[in-house]
Order: sequence, then structure tokens, then C-alpha cells
Amino acid sequence: MNDQPPLLEVRGLSVRIRGAARNLVDEVSLELNAGETLCVVGESGCGKSLTALALMGLLSDPPLQLMGGKALFRGQNLLSLKRHNLQQMRGDQVAMIFQEPMTSLNPSLRIGEQIAETVRRHRGVSTADARARALEMLERVRIPAAGARLDAYPHELSGGMRQRAMIAMALANDPAVLIADEPTTALDVTIQAQILELMRGLLAETGAALILITHDLGVVAEMADRVAVMYAGRIVEVGAARAIFEDPQHPYTIGLMSSMPSFGDSGARLVTIPGVVPSATAMPPGCRFAPRCPFVEDACGAQPAAKAVGSDHMVACVRAPLGVAA
Amino acid sequence: MLAFLGRRCLIAIPTIILISIFVFGLQKLLPGDPVLVMAGEERDPELIALLREKYRLNDPIPVQYAAWVGNIVQGDLGISLRTQQPVTALIAEKLPVTVQLAVMALIIALVIGIPAGVLSAYKKGTWIDWVANVVALSGLSVPNFWLGIMMILLVSVQLGWLPASGYVPLSEDPGQSIRTMLMPAFVLGTALAATLMRHTRSAMLGVLQSDYVRTARAKGMGEGTVLVKHALRNALVPIVTVTTLLFGELLAGAVLTEQIFTIPGFGKLVVDAVFNRDYAVVQGVVLCTGVAFIFLNILADATQRVLNPRMRQE
Repeated sequence: MNDQPPLLEVRGLSVRIRGAARNLVDEVSLELNAGETLCVVGESGCGKSLTALALMGLLSDPPLQLMGGKALFRGQNLLSLKRHNLQQMRGDQVAMIFQEPMTSLNPSLRIGEQIAETVRRHRGVSTADARARALEMLERVRIPAAGARLDAYPHELSGGMRQRAMIAMALANDPAVLIADEPTTALDVTIQAQILELMRGLLAETGAALILITHDLGVVAEMADRVAVMYAGRIVEVGAARAIFEDPQHPYTIGLMSSMPSFGDSGARLVTIPGVVPSATAMPPGCRFAPRCPFVEDACGAQPAAKAVGSDHMVACVRAPLGVAA
Repeated sequence: MLAFLGRRCLIAIPTIILISIFVFGLQKLLPGDPVLVMAGEERDPELIALLREKYRLNDPIPVQYAAWVGNIVQGDLGISLRTQQPVTALIAEKLPVTVQLAVMALIIALVIGIPAGVLSAYKKGTWIDWVANVVALSGLSVPNFWLGIMMILLVSVQLGWLPASGYVPLSEDPGQSIRTMLMPAFVLGTALAATLMRHTRSAMLGVLQSDYVRTARAKGMGEGTVLVKHALRNALVPIVTVTTLLFGELLAGAVLTEQIFTIPGFGKLVVDAVFNRDYAVVQGVVLCTGVAFIFLNILADATQRVLNPRMRQE
């Protein structure tokens, strides 16, 4: 698989608020191979959602502004597509699921129509065929009484059902890439597990690749083939999921992993990373994690280059590679 | 939907009763005595007493009210104190004129106001938005009588395209009827278009920020579909409310515009009646307008239910 060129290759993606001095998403580079699940993890405000919106051409401009970068997908740069071509791409070859199922569906259109319109748009099929496809998709996301749900309005469905409908809508045209921005964050824990299970099953069936944006390491452990860790707008570490979990190299990744509570140590204080994420106006010039890093040294004043520390494992830290894991 | 309409009409009854009490009471509170007007210069005490007896003005007020309501229920709004014509006939004569003017003005307002509002929200902060807002502000600021006179000067006197004044019933000559009504409707309509444009703009600005509009774009829908099918449809709720209220105001009579274009509508009827203390006509017209407002509100609520599926839940 590694010999083939990646399905989606992002290089140097940068986003900032118009007129701001620093980028909110800074020189982000990612690779997504066909059929794999790449999890982008990081805390709130680290730029992971902005990265996803930028790839979809959905940045609200103004105030947000794309500062540069490329996203090569099947020979085209998604970031420089003409509006017409971008519209043909979106919802067809690249689709997206959003965090809030309660507000992401149009309240005054029936569920079936919301799925069918994207099918008609991209496949040019008849109204009846598009409706049949919508029904098929509702059945595939295992919505009970799918036939009746076609004519239901979003407010008549529960949060979990709405997110299933969103998934049905996103997968209706068999996209090659699905981008899911915190798809389970707004849902109950039990529903979360069902939705993740459903997504995994559907991806296996369709062969679509997934970029899953989450702050939940439990979800990452469940879903990821590869993981990218973002901190303050930059990718600090990226690699195979196993490598990231078993041999984290960046001090931020190590902190993130050890702040995951586990069953064994009930009663013990939760491990935290001291300090807070720097605000967009007060980004340090070099490594953005340096002010919170317990291992900070003089060299951290300059932006560290990404170094390969394994066959599929890159870290942006001056100390990498670490010696034998402590 | 039928149950909803039935319920709303039932709820409207107490409101209508309140309006009738208010209309009746207001007349009693107004200074001036119609009998003195009718009696003329001499003010013969015998004639005054006779007139008071004839119009039952000596009865206790609740009795007068009961008699008045009793007549209204039978379709009798009384006799104009001035022209001695039945008020019902006067209203039946003027109402179609005003309704035609109001409908034409509203169509012009909708055709200009909604697209302008949608466009200015979509192009927020650009020169298009700026131009739309300046035009709307001018529309609100320019007085109707001035715009009316200027239009008569330009369109009728200079260009001779449309008649300057007059009225032809729709039933007599539809083409000519619309032609004579076009300028006054335009004068009224542009002012309303400005209000409508501002409301459409603010409703659209809210909706365009919503998650489902982003979803529609993520599905690859074209901007036209996103704007009309996904955004405008959800922005229509406040727009429908405003439109209904504007239409009600138009029905209540566009006094100045009717004067300038000499249109024999409601506005002229009310003004003449007020100046002559023609109680029965004023009462009839106000009651009629009040009831029209109530039914327009019911119509607006019914439209909201059609537009917004969440409102259909009982």
C-alpha cells in the first residue's frame, strides 16, 4: 500500500483570520491512503476542524482566509478548484459529516429529499431513482422503518437517528474520501459506540477512506489506522496508530496519552499537561508546545523540522528520536 | 389544518368583541357632537331633541352598544350621518378599490424587496449590499406624496405613459384599471419594499450562518439552490409576518397616496368621515379594518405552519 501514491495528499495547508499575524492552521501536511482511517486528534481550538473545512472549501471567508497549501486528490488540487468544479467534487467524491446532527439537517425539508437531492445533483438520475437510493441508504445506516422516515422531518428523529441520516447523505454517492468532524461528540456514549460501529462497517463495505477528527483518544484507539496529532495549528506527530500509541515521541503526544484515565488507578489524580494552549495572538515563534514542555531546551526557539523516526512515523521535535523508550 | 383554522377563528371572536367595544367607546369619548353638526347653524333645541331621539342617543350607553352590535350582526353598520347612505354600501363600494391597490402594491414590494434582501445578505459587506441598503434607506425616507408628485410629473406629464389620476373598476376594463393603478401601487410598493428588504436581509444573515446551509454546500449543491431552497425557505417565517402586517396597513388606507392620485379608496372615506364627525362611517371602517387584521394574522399563522414543519405538531 505504501508504494502507491496517497489518495489525498495535503501539503503546507495554512489558514488564518483575515488580517491576523499568525496562522490558526500552520503548514499542515497529511497523507491519506485509499481505504484507511486517519484520525486527527488534538484539543479544542487546535485547528483540526478548520483543516477539515479548508479541505472541503467550506471556510467562511471572511473572516477566515486560506493562506496557502495544496491538497492533491486524484490529480487535482482541492484548494484551487473553480467553484463549479468544487461543487461537483463535494458530496460526490469527497463528503463530510458534521458534529451537530441537531442543526446540520435542514429543518424544513424531509429527510428523504435531503438525501435524494445530492444524488440527483451528482448522478443526474430521476426523482424516483434518487428517492429509491435515499431509501436504500437509510436502510444501510440501519434506520428502523426507513420507508416511513423518508418523509419524516429532522425534528421527528432522535440525535442518533439524525446522525445516521447524515451518514446516509454523505455516503449516498459512494465518496472516495469521507471527512467526519467529531461525528459522535454530541451523542450519548451508547449511541456513540453504535455510530462508530456503523461507520466502520460501511467503510469496509464501500472502501472509502476516512479522515476522523476527534479529541477522544478512545475513539482513536477504536478506529484509527493512522493518527495525526495536532497542537496549536500544527501537526506535531503523525504515523501508524500502533506506533503513536506504543511509542509516542513528541512530549505533547506523551502528555496526551498519559492524561487518558484508566481503570487501574481510581483515586489517583488525573494526569494533566501543565499550562494552557497559547492564544492565536501569542504564539511562540519556534515550537508552539515549548512553553508547556517539560523538556524544553534552547533549540526549541526555532521551528523543529519533521523527522522520520520509523517507517510510518514522523515527529516535529528537536529531541526526537528518543532513545530506548523509558 | 382545518382544526387549527377553526380553533383560531374561535379565539378571534373575543378579540373582535374587544375591538367593537373599543370602537364604540372611542366614539363616545371623542369631543364634538354630531347632532349639533346635523342641526345646522340655528341649533333649534326641538330639532336637536328630535335627532337625539331618532338616533337613540338618549339611551344608556350599554343599550346603545347592544343595539349597535345587534345591527352589525345583521349586516347593518348604520347610516352615514352626512350622506344618508348605508355604511355597508359605502364600504362595499370603496373596499375593492383599496384591496386592488393594496394587492398591486404588495406584489411590487415582494418582487423588489425579497430578492434585494437575499442578495444583500449573500453579498454582505460588498458594494452590492451597500447599494441595496442606501436604496432601501432612500425608499424609507422619501415621502410618498413627494415620490407620487414626481412620478406624475415624469411618467404622466413628460412621458405620457400612464394616466396621472383616476380610477377604472377592474370589472369594467382590467387593462386600463391596472394601468391607472400602477403608479400609486409603485409609490406605495417601493416604500414597503424597503422595509421588506431590511427584514429579509436580517433573516437571511442569520440563516446563512446555520449548520444546515453548510451541509447543503458540503453536499455540492449550487449556490442558487443553497440560497433559495435551503436558506430563504427557513428565513421566510419572519418575512411572512412582516408582509401580513404591511398588507394590513395598506388595507387601512393609504390616505396621502389616494389623495394625490385621486383614487376613491378607504383612505379618503375615513378622512372625510373623521372631519365630518360621521360616527357610523368611522366605526364601520375601523371595525372592518380591525377584523381584516385579525384574519390576516390567522392567514399568516396558517402560512407559517405550511412553511415550518416544526409548527405542525399539536
